[in-house]
Amino acid sequence: MVSIYNSIMPVVQRLAESGWLPESFKYAFVFNSLVAALVLGPVLGGIGTLVVTKRLAFFSQAIGNAALTGVAIGIILGEPYTSPYVSLFSFCIIFGMAMVFTKNRTKMTTDTLIAVFLCISLAIGACILLYVTAKVNVHVLDNVLFGSILTVNELDLNVLFVISFICIFCGLGFYNRMVLSSFNPNLARVRGIKVIFLEYLFILMVTIITVASVKIIGAILVEALLVIPAASARNLSRSMRGFFFYSATFSTLSCVIGIVIPMELEIPVPSGGAIILVAAFFFAVTTAIRRLRRAYPALGKI
Amino acid sequence: MLTKNEDPPRGPSICFEMVGLCLSNITILQDVSFTVKAGDMHCLIGPNGGGKTSLILSLLGQMPHTGRIEINWTGGTTIGYVPQVLDFDRTLPVTVNNFMTMICQNMPAFIRTRKRYKDIINNALRLVSMDTKGERRLGELSGGEMQRVLFAQALIPFPDLLILDEPGAGIDSVGARVIEEIILVLKKQKVTMVWINHDLKQVKQMADAVTCIHKQVLFSGTPDEVLTTERVFQAFGTTSHGP
Repeated sequence: MVSIYNSIMPVVQRLAESGWLPESFKYAFVFNSLVAALVLGPVLGGIGTLVVTKRLAFFSQAIGNAALTGVAIGIILGEPYTSPYVSLFSFCIIFGMAMVFTKNRTKMTTDTLIAVFLCISLAIGACILLYVTAKVNVHVLDNVLFGSILTVNELDLNVLFVISFICIFCGLGFYNRMVLSSFNPNLARVRGIKVIFLEYLFILMVTIITVASVKIIGAILVEALLVIPAASARNLSRSMRGFFFYSATFSTLSCVIGIVIPMELEIPVPSGGAIILVAAFFFAVTTAIRRLRRAYPALGKI
Repeated sequence: MLTKNEDPPRGPSICFEMVGLCLSNITILQDVSFTVKAGDMHCLIGPNGGGKTSLILSLLGQMPHTGRIEINWTGGTTIGYVPQVLDFDRTLPVTVNNFMTMICQNMPAFIRTRKRYKDIINNALRLVSMDTKGERRLGELSGGEMQRVLFAQALIPFPDLLILDEPGAGIDSVGARVIEEIILVLKKQKVTMVWINHDLKQVKQMADAVTCIHKQVLFSGTPDEVLTTERVFQAFGTTSHGP
């Protein structure tokens, strides 16, 4: 992967210098962020269809909030504030697993349980942040909360590649079984599906891809990219094929456009915010198309 | 798909011995003992909340029950299960074919249905008269159509033991007839069936044996022997589930 990256980068830089690509593409950080966008987009869009199908949108928000706490813990423990991955992954995975563990052992509804965990995570984060502000400028955390393409380095890309590979491998291998488990766990069990194992695996997938997305999209906003493209795709599609591929496409386009447009137009906004606004634009357009199709059924055949 | 196969029965016999189930200190089942003969169509009846579904889940190994449930397989060991409902967002773009594909193969349904499964799926849907509705979204199906799809999935692969959790609930007359016809075919093939059924008329006509469950076994035997008016009144009290 690294060799592919090293061989493509000079080509892109030459194309940018010769005017075939926008001038900004010659900068390494722009290239890094676009590579991240092209990898993250399809993965988040694809996993998003599962998040929407399993009605776990709120869960990914909780993981996003846990990521903030994970960063704070990392800084306290002396990790570099630009990439405190050990603390981030450790805290978020423990957080996610604890949530599923508790869910499987209580009769609490999922939304109540997630809300409880979300608040606990925020409370821990708020307490630790007080100590963090003594160590680093608290505005550094803006990058974690809302994403910043300026801070995406090779380590981030490598983390992203590995995590994306794991998610694609698990996602493709278990997609059908994960959907069936959510439709009717008893039926899934009769068919030999390990429902509880897949529940943990799915939560693990959402958790690690959320952490890997923190640098470019931001902890608070990752959830949106897991939900909005899938919701937009649902507006247009009539089968799972359309649902998945529209979602992956909308997600990728949102990431790329959200990075390129503010840069080219020199609009000083965080990359995460711009990406989500583009995704929201797709949602608005697809919702309008859906309403038009309902009003004029003949349009549905187009 | 369905092949003629006379004796011996392809389905197993099932022996429930002193089965008990207690969840959160509430007794759901207590000392439930009865036998399902190999190749029989055995109906479970009883008032709502009486523990029928819990007994079926215990049979499927999905409940922490006490006592013993022994399945004596005679041939294959394939279990088909028809659940009551699917719990999903009705606006989801999942078609009947997508759902059936998810049942059959590991490759994600959004990529494609493998060729070898297409015929199997079409055959199963044809049996329940749903083959023309394969591209319908699950959320657009009526209750009866959904039940037929759930029935179709239980036929892949062809079961030796079929467990039905109230497939007749909310079904339309066409769907009920279609399901009755398939059940008769399965009966001829001596597939063992355990069927939770509230339609006592249907139980009388079709079942080889019937067991009434209300925490315990209230009565068990052939429909002609045990489905007397007094016993039915005793089981259902003044509820509307009359024969």
